[in-house]
Amino acid sequence: MSRGAARGLFGAVLLVALWEGAARGFHLPAYTLPAFSDILVSVWTERASLLRAGAVTFAEALSGYAIGSALGIALAMLLVVLPWTRRCAMPALLAINSVPVAAYSPLVLLWLGLGWSSKVAMVALAVGFTVFLSALAGFDRVDRRSVGLLQSFGAGPFAILWRLRVPTALPLIAAGMRVATVRSLIVAIVTEMLGAYGGLGWIIYQAVVQIDFVQVWSAIFVASAISLAFFGLIGAAERRIVFWR
Amino acid sequence: MTAVGLARAIGWKLLGLVAAAAVWEGAVLLFGIRPAYLPRLSTILHAMAATPGAYMDGVLRTLAETLIGFAAGALVGVLNGVAFFRWPTLRDMLFPIFVVSQTIPVIAFGALVVLWFGNTLLAKAVIAFYLTFFPVTVNTLLGLQAVDPRQVALLRSFGATGGGLMLRLQLPAALPQIFVALRLGASLSLVGAIVGEWFGDTTGIGVMLLQAMYTENVVGLWAAILCAAVLGTSFYAAVAAAERRLVFWAAEQ
Repeated sequence: MSRGAARGLFGAVLLVALWEGAARGFHLPAYTLPAFSDILVSVWTERASLLRAGAVTFAEALSGYAIGSALGIALAMLLVVLPWTRRCAMPALLAINSVPVAAYSPLVLLWLGLGWSSKVAMVALAVGFTVFLSALAGFDRVDRRSVGLLQSFGAGPFAILWRLRVPTALPLIAAGMRVATVRSLIVAIVTEMLGAYGGLGWIIYQAVVQIDFVQVWSAIFVASAISLAFFGLIGAAERRIVFWR
Repeated sequence: MTAVGLARAIGWKLLGLVAAAAVWEGAVLLFGIRPAYLPRLSTILHAMAATPGAYMDGVLRTLAETLIGFAAGALVGVLNGVAFFRWPTLRDMLFPIFVVSQTIPVIAFGALVVLWFGNTLLAKAVIAFYLTFFPVTVNTLLGLQAVDPRQVALLRSFGATGGGLMLRLQLPAALPQIFVALRLGASLSLVGAIVGEWFGDTTGIGVMLLQAMYTENVVGLWAAILCAAVLGTSFYAAVAAAERRLVFWAAEQ
């Protein structure tokens, strides 16, 4: 193990020890800070409902993530291949993006109802903009001279897109998609909290209303674990696909 | 940018806004979009003009929460970055914990903060702070690490020591990186404030959003969204303007 990793592990152990010690030593009430071990126990005893809620949230986040990424990349490609669409669409897109994503949640809930479709739409919106902006920045990053060289060989806009812009943009697209993983789960949970039939956000909201703090913390643990796993998965995929980095 | 150039840029922006408003109004009328999905812009503005006081109070309240959280997050973020740069052991120990803390959904963190601080302005500011400090920490650290070692060596040869070196060379050199994070933080802190208000409050943009949702008042919902857009865009523009003044040497890049 490297020195940095060892120190990181030491820091984590220290934090857990301090947490446990403070909660037990000062007899802190659960609404201030429940003991770390109590939360772990609660995660285990409530594992059935937490797993079900986690699966619901992850399914929403994943579908929204896939749709949003595909739409974001496709839109960026369209704007790059047909420059006139860019002049028309860009002001409207920037205007839509200027509103904090969370502010759209109530509207989307009214439009699509409390079921899973509103969550998928919100995640797709948030992920789509993140991926779209990084893809557009990536497509624009190509060297003008390389474009000129390919054009002198008779390459059309599609050939330039496929052979030059996509490979150049891949690292940036991948970075955007990596950032979007954590965001997708957060947006799904935020939207669930405003209205849903299940999922981690719904559990958190119910627990807050019932003043069940250990349950709030357990749901946070599960959400965090899923976020980290998703982030790691996309990160691993990125290292395989963008291997030249 | 000269005064004339600035005026011209603002003029074009205004023209773009007017054009967008016309397209909105025209599209709703032309395609007969049902008001339940997208009301006419004029209807929304009308509703806002009917009770300007309520909207003003909400915007000011959310602005106060955002500003306090943002300022605290920026300050703590820069201090964290400097501390991590100075003491790598501290960085190795705390940085992974910071990363994990950022995977906690803001809403869940918000629930805890509201439990701790009650439904106060402070609670919302803490949520905005939580979203701001991490990117600022990361970018301060990256900016400090990217300082040219030859410049450090030069200043050292003139007798500069830790504190002077940090103030005169390392922090100014890291400013462009820090401002990238501050611009991101400007957007994030507003999200934090709005989401924080969802746990129950009486004024604020988040409250207006929730109330409009519960009463299925689509016009009110769009009015609140417009308020959020105006607030978010102005705050972002203010941070970007501060960046242009303070990091004037980076304008050419």
